[in-house]
Amino acid sequence: MSLAAGPGRGGGTGRLPEDLELCIEKHVKYIQSLDTRKDELEYWLTEHLRLNGVYWGLTALHLLGRPDALPHRETIDFVLSCQHNNGGFGAAPGHDAHMLYTVSAVQILVTIDAVEELEKHGKGGKERVGEFIASLQNRDDGSFAGDEWGETDTRFLYGALNALSLLHLTSLIDTTKAVQYVQACSNFDGGYGVSPGAETHSGQIFTCLGALAIAGRLDLVDKDRLGGWLSERQLDNGGLNGRPEKLEDVCYSWWVGSSLAMIDRIHWIDGEKLGNFILQCQDIEMGGLSDRPGDAVDVFHTFFGVAGLSLLGYAGLEKVDPI
Amino acid sequence: MGKYSGSETWQDVVPIPQDDGGPNPLAAIAYTEDYSEAMSYLRAVMADNEKSERALSLTEDIIVMNPAHYTVWLYRADVFFALEKDPLQELDWLNKISLKYLKNYQIWHHRQLIMTKIPSIPPTELPFLAQMFEKDSKNYHVWSYRQWLVRHFSLWDDELPYLESLLEEDVRNNSAWNHRWFVVFSRYVDPSAGTGADAAAIKADPEIVAREMEYAKAKIRLAPQNQSPWNYLRGVVKKREGGLAVLRAFAEEFADLAREDEVRSSHALDLLADVYAAEKEEEQAGKALELLARKYDPIRKNYWNYRRGLLGLKEVEVE
Ligand SMILES: [Zn+2]
Repeated sequence: MSLAAGPGRGGGTGRLPEDLELCIEKHVKYIQSLDTRKDELEYWLTEHLRLNGVYWGLTALHLLGRPDALPHRETIDFVLSCQHNNGGFGAAPGHDAHMLYTVSAVQILVTIDAVEELEKHGKGGKERVGEFIASLQNRDDGSFAGDEWGETDTRFLYGALNALSLLHLTSLIDTTKAVQYVQACSNFDGGYGVSPGAETHSGQIFTCLGALAIAGRLDLVDKDRLGGWLSERQLDNGGLNGRPEKLEDVCYSWWVGSSLAMIDRIHWIDGEKLGNFILQCQDIEMGGLSDRPGDAVDVFHTFFGVAGLSLLGYAGLEKVDPI
Repeated sequence: MGKYSGSETWQDVVPIPQDDGGPNPLAAIAYTEDYSEAMSYLRAVMADNEKSERALSLTEDIIVMNPAHYTVWLYRADVFFALEKDPLQELDWLNKISLKYLKNYQIWHHRQLIMTKIPSIPPTELPFLAQMFEKDSKNYHVWSYRQWLVRHFSLWDDELPYLESLLEEDVRNNSAWNHRWFVVFSRYVDPSAGTGADAAAIKADPEIVAREMEYAKAKIRLAPQNQSPWNYLRGVVKKREGGLAVLRAFAEEFADLAREDEVRSSHALDLLADVYAAEKEEEQAGKALELLARKYDPIRKNYWNYRRGLLGLKEVEVE
């Protein structure tokens, strides 16, 4: 799975028609083609994200109604080749084990119904993976690190809860403390940041809400206030931004959209305008979506755009789970 | 001959070529030879857990080619600490690549690790961060690092004048507003105490609250449609006893319901809707929300209508 941008551009070369549709077949082909680009330097320079990219690509294919579009066995083999003896996964073979890629590995295996492969061909069963994740929790403040060097980020906390709940192993961690940490990341504007005191950011709101949803503690959220802030992210062109006074970007269709969906307020943004904005980011000839019209497409924004449309109930797409 | 295969220093190392893990060996990897070669030597030294000068310079070489490669950073930190290298020199090198790769976050984590080895803040540190903000004054990684730095070296007192200069340059810089909150109000909150959720409700020194209210108001007058100081102002008011009503006259400067074509700030209307509702002036509150739904923020009409619903008022039709 190449994570390199291109080859096409969102919006293509000319202006797209107003009554645009999602070119499902093109996007499926685009994602499938990503594995054939190993002769490009960018393929290797983005290796540190590989497993993550596989997850987004795979999920996009599921939403596009083509869950079998990637080769099953090869996907499993690749995932397992990224595992370390400590149970964690790196982004690709030879990369250190890290929370983000361990979460991606679990998500992929669950998506393709292959968790038992951990037992059969991995480095120990799912408990081993769970122990790696649990070992990264700071038992004093509840936060999670990405790796042994201790960088903390609410992304890691959400990832840990997500993966462990998929594996039915949340008992390995202190969920109460984790929830307290999320609370400590809440800000005066109703949003959440990457750590206590850090600026509110749509991506971090998604991770904090996702963690609270998994922990069954969405009752702690002032939904009206947060929903107000999130809906304020929509700009006149229909796109969403991540913070005040920043540019719109297709990825926030997912971060903001799914956050609003988790607190039942997705209708507070103008779905039609957002849908049109996302569709304008397609390359209707070669497939793929970009962050905004005119930029190069990539697998991440392809997922974010498709998932955003799915949240909005776009016809022909599978329904995405906001968490 | 490659840079490494042809070098005296690396004679004894057998490079380990790429194995991408899939069932098909990749015959045709054409990624640039320099990067490929350096990576094969990295695999070799990492396999040996070698902590040496040459390993350190190898990581430097790779990071310059591909700074997002997180494993190289971890290994570099490992080697750096094992050799007890000079942290100031490391910072010097980091400065250069930080200015080149603005979006990278591994750099900032590494910087934080290095900084813990330095007993007091180097005089070059804040000027360097200022240089970073000149390139992008909303860089999330740099702001997060700065918060850590302020707490670590207890730099609280000098932050406000610097922030003032940033807001003078761009009053819409939400990151700077957030940092102001951090410096003024989060200073006394222990981030590890797990009290964050209630932190917003903890009352603050009335003198500071009054000062911050006046500050936000002055900035709003410069750009009434700027949402950051309005959010800040609402947050500050929660730090005092009493409700939002204290802001009524101020908000009415920007939105007079009797002159609905002359509203200068949708945020003022939003605030007034809350003020009127709290004062049991539902009709006025409903009117402010209607103006928002119909005229001043119609893209969020469902939100404004929801707020009307909370007051028992019916939805406004917006075509
Ligand atoms: Zn994006």
